[in-house]
Amino acid sequence: MRGEHESADSGVVLGASGVTKRFPGVIANDQVDFALRRGEVHALLGENGSGKTTLCKILTGLYRPDEGSVILDGAEARLHSPADAHASGVFMVHQHFSLVDNMTVAENVVLGWKAGRRMRLSRAQIEDEVAAAAERFDMFVHPRAQIWQLSVGERQRVEILKTLYRGAHTLILDEPTTVLTPQEAERLFESLRRMVEHGGSVVFISHKLPEVLAVCDRVTVLRQGRNIGTVDVGDGVTDAKGLARMMVGREIELGRRPERRGRVGDEPLLRLIDVSADGDHGAPAVKEVSLAVLPGEVLGIAGVAGNGQRELAEVVTGVRPRSAGTVALDGRELASGSPLNAAKRGVAYVPEDRMGVGLAPGMELWENLLLRAGKGACWRGPFIRRSNGIAHAEALVESFDIRGQPRTLVRQLSGGNAQKVLLARELSSDPRVLVIAAPTRGLDVAAMAAVRAFLIEAAEHGVAVMLISEDLEELMDLCDRIAVMCAGRVTGVVSVGSTDVEEIGLLMGGVTA
Amino acid sequence: MTADLIRLERRLATPRWLMLAVPAAAGVVALLLAAIFLAATGRDPISTYRQMAQASITRDGALSATMITATPLLLTGLAAAIAFRMRAWNIGGEGQLYIGAIAAAGAGLVVGGQGLAVALPAMCLAGMAGGALWAAIPGLLRAHLNTNEILTSLMLNYVAALLGYYLIFGSGSYWRDLTSPGAQVFPQGKEIAATSWWPGFLAPGVVLPLGFLVGIACAVGLFVTIRSTRFGFRLRVVSDSPRAALYAGIRTKRAFVLVMVLSGALAGLAGVSQVGDFAHQLDPKGLQGAAYGYTGIVVAALARYNPIGVILAALFMGALANAGLSLAGSDFPQGLVGMIEGIILFCALGGEVLSRYRIRVGRGSRALASVVASDSTAPAPRVDGIAGEGAGQGGAEVDMGTGRIL
Amino acid sequence: MNDGLVVQLLASAVLFGTPLLIAALGELLAERSGILNLGVEGMMLVGAVSGFLVSQRIGGAGWTALLVAVVAAGVVGGGMGLIHAFLTVTLRANQIVSGLALTIFGGAIGLSSYIGDSQHLTGQAARHQFEAINLFGLSDLPILGPVLFHHTLFVYGSWVLVAAVAYYLYRTRAGLHLRAVGEDPAAADAMGISVTGYRYVHTVAGGVFAGVAGAFYTLALSGNWSNGITAGAGWIALAMVVLAFWRPELVVVGAYLFGGIAALGPNLQARNVSLPPELFSALPYLMTIVVLVLVSSAWARGRLNAPAALGTAYMRGE
Repeated sequence: MRGEHESADSGVVLGASGVTKRFPGVIANDQVDFALRRGEVHALLGENGSGKTTLCKILTGLYRPDEGSVILDGAEARLHSPADAHASGVFMVHQHFSLVDNMTVAENVVLGWKAGRRMRLSRAQIEDEVAAAAERFDMFVHPRAQIWQLSVGERQRVEILKTLYRGAHTLILDEPTTVLTPQEAERLFESLRRMVEHGGSVVFISHKLPEVLAVCDRVTVLRQGRNIGTVDVGDGVTDAKGLARMMVGREIELGRRPERRGRVGDEPLLRLIDVSADGDHGAPAVKEVSLAVLPGEVLGIAGVAGNGQRELAEVVTGVRPRSAGTVALDGRELASGSPLNAAKRGVAYVPEDRMGVGLAPGMELWENLLLRAGKGACWRGPFIRRSNGIAHAEALVESFDIRGQPRTLVRQLSGGNAQKVLLARELSSDPRVLVIAAPTRGLDVAAMAAVRAFLIEAAEHGVAVMLISEDLEELMDLCDRIAVMCAGRVTGVVSVGSTDVEEIGLLMGGVTA
Repeated sequence: MTADLIRLERRLATPRWLMLAVPAAAGVVALLLAAIFLAATGRDPISTYRQMAQASITRDGALSATMITATPLLLTGLAAAIAFRMRAWNIGGEGQLYIGAIAAAGAGLVVGGQGLAVALPAMCLAGMAGGALWAAIPGLLRAHLNTNEILTSLMLNYVAALLGYYLIFGSGSYWRDLTSPGAQVFPQGKEIAATSWWPGFLAPGVVLPLGFLVGIACAVGLFVTIRSTRFGFRLRVVSDSPRAALYAGIRTKRAFVLVMVLSGALAGLAGVSQVGDFAHQLDPKGLQGAAYGYTGIVVAALARYNPIGVILAALFMGALANAGLSLAGSDFPQGLVGMIEGIILFCALGGEVLSRYRIRVGRGSRALASVVASDSTAPAPRVDGIAGEGAGQGGAEVDMGTGRIL
Repeated sequence: MNDGLVVQLLASAVLFGTPLLIAALGELLAERSGILNLGVEGMMLVGAVSGFLVSQRIGGAGWTALLVAVVAAGVVGGGMGLIHAFLTVTLRANQIVSGLALTIFGGAIGLSSYIGDSQHLTGQAARHQFEAINLFGLSDLPILGPVLFHHTLFVYGSWVLVAAVAYYLYRTRAGLHLRAVGEDPAAADAMGISVTGYRYVHTVAGGVFAGVAGAFYTLALSGNWSNGITAGAGWIALAMVVLAFWRPELVVVGAYLFGGIAALGPNLQARNVSLPPELFSALPYLMTIVVLVLVSSAWARGRLNAPAALGTAYMRGE
């Protein structure tokens, strides 16, 4: 990192003192103290919604605390905007990257950086500088590559390079490993260690215990917005179980695999044979995929984002035409590229992008529930029967515990309720097959539990479930088998009982056994 | 990251009263702004407006003249409303109207002698088909070749206008009057048989052209179609979220072309009514001078793309446009009506903001306003259930998972 | 066709293409920031009439009058751009409708007609006109001379403008930021770039360019004012931006191509070729459609290089 910091090496470079932050109806941070020492990797551990991200946004000036103060270099500081934090060398890498797809790595790195006041841009010079910074931290990305050509892991490196180029000495990484293969994550940890050796400090937000133990020096655990405690990782006392207890407040089983009766039939309900399909840009995105899902089985599809999982789901649900191969339900082939045919045959789909793809956000809840139903009590000839539609919605709102009214605009629903609306619509159509992608992303703990329960219940009723997720933990918790995709191909199918994260990670990276 | 002076916060629901108040205010504010402009350029706004009011409302027969102008505006307004609401940016209403007029005049000339019972449906069908076909060009190009429909539909306006000119001024076509003595000097269209002129209906103080009644029927039909039919439901899904429509098995390309065709047919019908109600011949110059197609966009925007609202907006804009047309040539300022129309549209757009957002002025607390987009774990105050009015029933829980653990 | 016709056609292509070129460059700047402005036609007409008005009324030497007139046209066009910027950037109004409003407001039935009528400009003979300049004595060259080097300052200025816009876009920091704002405003905002600022500046710049392009018609091309003098050139300029894939260097090609098509009618008519004049008048519009179709269908699988955020309002946190 740029600045040399010779001063007391155990000083607090970044901290919070009694920080409280309220949002309508909830206290996101409640009297939180936090201290990041120079030269350490410090984990912020907590469940979704425990206030980790809020705290970090306060530390970087994105939010202002209602009470308490932020500490920079040992002294109280007033941050009015992220620019103030940046001026002190504190940067945050968000989960959602701020990269412009159609620009090069070098252009993205210098974007908005005002210290270089020159009007003219010298491409060669910038590219050299970027390459040099990348070299130093072992984070090589080609400076002239366009962002859209890069893998997610490489994009993350560009985000980090951006901060280093601006003179970062303190980095806050928000759940950086969720988008990485285990191997890529290991590489990131290596780079983080290098930064620390160069005098930098890192806050590492996570809810995954193993990686916290692997890479961090100290851990601060947040629960329900409160600081539960800060512990040294190397003290011999701290182990995964202890941290887990701090995190959730009671003893838990580490593997939270829900009880399943395991009623799995023998004859595959859904069968894909040598299926190929083109992606949005015309290049092949799914290549010769063969899979079979039994009734009552949950088949996971693992892989780093952008390796053909979404396209595969779209092929099965008929939205994307296949270029080769067959998809058969109950032994009868599904028409290629016909969502209508798929829906009629009993294929339900809960896509990853709930608001834009699964639901019409500007329409009312009851109308969204009718989206896939062309017949039934809610229709009379070419006309809609509004009162029946609303009654239908009322019943589903009740049974799926949706916080909303039939006349509510879907846009106004929270993520969890929107997901429940989608599930209600798809599951109420008595599907044979359910294709569901990233079912719990962005949901709070309660909604997550509800969604998982609905999913398992569907499987128990004999639905063949295809679960696409980048969250390995979730896949291990919910699936019977997991198919791993890399570059459009299935690199392996493993049984959950007899595999581990390492094996899946290798398959995600394209290494077949 | 500087705090902007004017900040907007999205409303979750639009208060009902704003939906009426905004367009009304837009009209009033636009007239005020235009008055200031008139005064600034050395004209007396009061006498100008009095002139306009006389020409469109108070003078004998003025209201009937207004209705004649409001009729095509009602239809082009509906054409723009249905298209824009469904996000099909058909700004070719002008050209579709010309083609509708050409086709209707042609049909009227062919079957006009057989009386209204034959001529009326023939003219309507021909004109609607013409407009629909003309609109289908940009529609199909957009749906299948991804060509920007704004530019193609607009270009076709010029082409349609030139076609009309060619038929009357540039050739000895079937549409042109080649026999009457006046027509030797000033080229003009052949008149359709008087028995096929469209009748007007006498209401107190005003003659309602047949076309206006047709327009009202269209507005009501459109309203019902959009609100309560399967077809309308599908169109609404497509416009709200094309990808969701795709998943729901709706053929989005076909829906787009259908909307364009429907819009074109309505604009074509405006051309038909111009021939049947008013000109009784193909008058390309008159059509171009009136610019009903473009004004229809103003009508639709003022009505917030609601078919029933279009009726009211068409009456208002009809009065305005009629003043412009009937006062042209006198000492009335040329171009004033277009300016006022433009300003009305500005105000309607500005007012639209009021109904979608709350406006905060000043550099107050920016804590909430500065929620940066890069945000996935939902720290923003996203309220469960219904926010705003319904917060009570929905429960004021926030989607932050403060409570239970699995 | 003989040599004389070809040379004359090419020279007129440059002449007729120049206003398209200037207006399209301006629209390109606005669209690169993510703002689509369909008001080009209206801004050009108001620029044309204001430029003419000023040049008719102002005293002093011919070249000062013309300079002031061009500046006035630019200022008025910029002012109209400002209206669009306020509505679409600050108030987040629909860009398509707002641009149409601008054209209705300024166009042949609006402000430009009001000014022309109330100042009795129609039919007035111009007091000052831009004269063709023999650039570096090059206009005596065979073919190239009359085609490229026997033009008004306006034409030479437009060449400088192309180079300047290209350099700005690809080689300066502000150009980089501009492209980022048009591609991904959220990312640009997160990097501390003022999305609002960039959009305002470039929408206004687009208006200035359109106003100046309009003044070309009254001050350099036709020598008088008539209502609706641009006859849809603003719309063709809009199409030009698409055809040039949002790249200034390609706008030149498109502008001169369409300049040539626009010049075809008058040139052939002057040589007594008898075809309906309406057909020639319709040619630019038909060609625009044809080329748009070719370009968009050939690139249908790609994205045509359009700025990704074109036409969308930006609001932090949405």
